[in-house]
Parts: sequence; C-alpha cells; structure tokens
Amino acid sequence: MDEHVSTLHSAFVTVNHTCLKGHFTSNSSIMLLPFLLRGCTAKHYVQQVLSGTRLCINCCNIKGLATSGGQLFLRRTPQRFLNQSRGAKTHKRKHQEDDWKKRNKTVLTYIAAAGVGMIGLSYAAVPLYRLYCQATGLGGTAVAGHNADQVETMKPVRERIIKVTFNADTHASIQWNFRPQQSEIYVVPGETALAFYKARNPTDKPVIGISTYNVVPFEAGQYFNKIQCFCFEEQRLNPHEEVDMPVFFYIDPEFDDDPRMARVDTITLSYTFFEAKEGQRLPLPGYS
Amino acid sequence: MSTAMNFGTKTFRPRPPDKGAFPLDHFGECKSFKETYMRCLKDNRFDNSRCRVESKEYLECRMDRQLMAKEPFEKLGFKDLMEEPAKENKAKF
Repeated sequence: MDEHVSTLHSAFVTVNHTCLKGHFTSNSSIMLLPFLLRGCTAKHYVQQVLSGTRLCINCCNIKGLATSGGQLFLRRTPQRFLNQSRGAKTHKRKHQEDDWKKRNKTVLTYIAAAGVGMIGLSYAAVPLYRLYCQATGLGGTAVAGHNADQVETMKPVRERIIKVTFNADTHASIQWNFRPQQSEIYVVPGETALAFYKARNPTDKPVIGISTYNVVPFEAGQYFNKIQCFCFEEQRLNPHEEVDMPVFFYIDPEFDDDPRMARVDTITLSYTFFEAKEGQRLPLPGYS
Repeated sequence: MSTAMNFGTKTFRPRPPDKGAFPLDHFGECKSFKETYMRCLKDNRFDNSRCRVESKEYLECRMDRQLMAKEPFEKLGFKDLMEEPAKENKAKF
C-alpha cells in the first residue's frame, strides 16, 4: 500500500516536473497513471493526483499545448464533435470572407472611379469656367452680348454728368513724350466723346510703341466702351515726329441704372506706352 | 497693381476697341480740325455735349483722308446731329 502511495507520489512529482518544463512527455506520464490507479485503493491520493494533473493540464493549455490526453481529464466536448462544429464554422467564415472580398472589390472600384472622375473634372473645369465667365460677365471679361449696334440706338442720359480725367504714362524704356491734350471732359452716359493725346519722339531713331489702358474705378471699366483708339496696336513714330492720338469712346447708358455706380462721378482713363520690340506679338486682351 | 497676390478680387481686363485702332496722322492733315475742337472744349469748360459738331467734323476729316474707316455717322452716335439737318431741310420746304 505504501509502495503504491510512494509510486503515486513519484508519478505526481514527475508530472509536475514535466509540466513545469513544458514537455509533451507529460502525456506519457499521464498515461501511466491509469495503470497505477488500478491497483490502488487510496482514494484521497488519487483525487490529489487528479487535481494536480488538472492544474498541470490547465497550465499546459495556457501555454498553448492542447494535448489530446488532456481532453480526457478536462470536461470538454469530445474531439469528434469539435471537428464537426469547427467545420461548420470554417464554412461560414469562408463565406463571410468571400463576402468581404466582394465588398472590398466593389468599394475599391467605386473609389477608383471617383478618382478618375476627379481628374477628368479638373481638366474639364478650364473650358467650363471660361463659358461660365462669358455667360455671367464675371471678372470683367467681355460679355458675349456686347454689340456695336447699341451705339446707334442709345439715348444719352442728360441728368448724369460724369467727369472723365485723362492720364498718360510711359514705360521707363520708351523715350516718347506722351501726354493728354485735355485734363478732363464732362460727358453723359450714352453720348460719344472724343479726346486727344499727344505723343512726340525726341530721339533720332524711329520708335515703335504699343499701349494699353486702364480705367479707374474698376467697376466703371465695364461701362467704358471705346469705339476707336490707338491702343493695342503698334504705332511707329519717326524721329522728331509729333502726332495727335484720338480716343473715341462712350459710357454705356446702363451706367446710370447700376446701383454700384450711384456715387461714381469721376472716371479716370489712363494710357501707358511701352516700347515694342521687333517680332514681338502681344496677345489680345480677353480670351483669344 | 497686378503684382499683388489678391486672388479673390476681380482684375481689370482691358477690352480691345470696337472698331480697332486709329491709324496715326503722321502728316497732321486733320490738325486744324483738332485745334478747333480743343478750342471749343476750352471755351465751353470741357463740356462734351456742346462740342459734338466739332468732333463730328474731325472724324469726317479722318474719313476723307483715309485715316478712318468710312461709316455712317448714325453708327458713331451722331444720330441726333444727322436728324437736325434733315429737319432743317423739311422746315425749308
């Protein structure tokens, strides 16, 4: 009896050792136990050993060593049932994964389509914006509906007198003497007016100049229409030559209707002359 | 003025003239008409409405000397001036 107890005790110790070392040989030692138990009557010791092995198996399982032998001691569903349920689970999971894959693919295609759409939109934005600007006249671009027949039919608005002042500038490199011949003119909207600038070339060489203009205040520039002037085309002055440069313009009668122009009484027309280099072509203002 | 980085504000866009550019009067052929016009302006305190006849005459001079494309004066906004001679003629008869 004592021998049995001692062997049981030694078996318990070996089981503990192997458990601590984490070897699979605990399997073999555990297998030994039933043989030992057959010949034993000490229930107390048996129970002790069983609890010990349970602890051991638990710690083995915690370490990740799910031993088939351990299954026998722990109250778990038998192996064959586990396999069946695991099979059902994998089948479901596979279906789920397929589902996810499909969903991912559709989402990716949508994102790719959106990206391509954005790039296309950025390219299309350039002509679309141009059309929009022409239709609404935003940014001071020439409105498409602006026509020259208006000059014929427009009626002068006699109540509104506007003072138009003239300014002349030259770029640093051009040596012309360029100045207006009148400092101001009083006009009314809807009436054509004539103004003169004078330019003189004091040098001994012919100089080609080209000019641009500016209207202040900016919003009034929309209503300032030039029928004919001397700007945007090359003008050649021979040495020591002096010429008169006329500007034939009118202010749109709609100027009087615009509430933003209600307090505008003075419009300044400013011309600037630059020297034109040979073979240089300036782009026409507006969209060309 | 265009050097400032003001993206929000509208920029001034110069427009080309409706009928293009005046050819230069190199020989001063219409200088006398211009002098008459300037004198009229000075006398009338630079009131454009009073000197329209002189401006019309200047443009007529230009058209005659090939310095301006010939156009009926109604298209240049001188319709009121053209109507007056017709009225005068009617009144005569």
